[in-house]
Amino acid sequence: MSTLHVVSHSPFTDSRLDSCLRICGVNDAILLCGDGAYGLHNAALQTKGVKVFVLAEDMQARNLPLPDWADSVDYPGFVQLSLDYDKVNSWL
Amino acid sequence: MNTLTVGTRTLELDKDGYLVDLNAWSEEVASALAAAEPLALTADHWEILTLLRQFYSEFQLSPATRPLIKYTALKLGPEKGNSLHLNKLFNGTPAKLAAKLAGLPRPTNCL
Amino acid sequence: MSKSLLVISRQAPWSGPGAREALDIVLAGGAFDLPIGLLFLDDGVFQLAPHQDAKAVQQKDLGANLQALGLFGIDEVFACHHSLAERGLTTPASAQPLDSAAISQLIDRYDQVITL
Repeated sequence: MSTLHVVSHSPFTDSRLDSCLRICGVNDAILLCGDGAYGLHNAALQTKGVKVFVLAEDMQARNLPLPDWADSVDYPGFVQLSLDYDKVNSWL
Repeated sequence: MNTLTVGTRTLELDKDGYLVDLNAWSEEVASALAAAEPLALTADHWEILTLLRQFYSEFQLSPATRPLIKYTALKLGPEKGNSLHLNKLFNGTPAKLAAKLAGLPRPTNCL
Repeated sequence: MSKSLLVISRQAPWSGPGAREALDIVLAGGAFDLPIGLLFLDDGVFQLAPHQDAKAVQQKDLGANLQALGLFGIDEVFACHHSLAERGLTTPASAQPLDSAAISQLIDRYDQVITL
C-alpha cells in the first residue's frame, strides 16, 4: 500500500512536514504545495529517501530552485499522482 | 420562537422542538413535551429518559441510535437495550425523540 | 463492505474547531457502523491529557465526549508515542500508543485517511 502525503504548510513554522516524514512509509511520496513548497529548503527531506514532488506553480511563485532529489508536477500531474497512489493523505 | 408552557413557566425550544436550556428540564416538562407529540409516558419510557440524562452528564453529548442501544443494554440489560424495545417506545426514532423528551440537545450524529 | 477510514487528529483541544471536527467525523462514522480508526498525533495528544476544564474557556467537554468512543463502536484508538513523549504526557488509558513505524503500518491498513 502507498500513500501520497500532501503538505501545504511551511516546515519552518509548523510541524506537519516533520511528522509526515516521521511516519512516512517506504512506498509513500510527499507532494509539497502552497507554503509547503518551502520544504525544498528542508535538508531532512532528501535524507529520508522518500519521493518528493512539488507543485510547479507554487515553486515558481516563490522562486525556489528544484533540487535534483525532487520532481515538479503541474495540476494534471497532481491528479495523476493521486491516482498512482492507493490513497491521498492531505495534512489539513 | 418556539415555546412550551408548563404550569406558570414558559420554556424556550429550538426550531426542532428541543429544550434550549438543559437545566430547565423536569419530569413535568418531559410530560408536557410528550403530550405535544403526542405520547403517553409509561415507566418504561421514564427509565430510558433517566438513562439518557445520565448518558449526557457522563459524555456531554446526545447519543445516536446505536450508542443509545449499546448504553441501554449495558445499564439495563439486553432485553431493554435493543432496537425493537426502543423503537416501540419512541415511535421508531428513539435517539431523536427520547433526547427531546429528556431535554437534551438534538443528537448531532444522527440523520 | 464499507471502506475503512483513519482519522488523524493533530490539533490541540481548545485552539480551534479542528479537534472537535475530527471527533465529529469519527462519531458520525461510528453511528453508521463504518470501520473507523482514530489516531492522535502532534498537539492532538493534548486532547488526551487528564483533568482538563472545558468550562473555563466556555467549550464543550471534549474529554467527556472521547469517553463515548467505545459506545459509538470505535475501538481502534491510538496515540503517537513520540508526540506523547515530546510533550511529557504519560500513556493515556483510552488510546494505544504506537511508534512511528507502527503508525506507518496503521495508515497502510486503512482505505482512506483524513488528517485534521
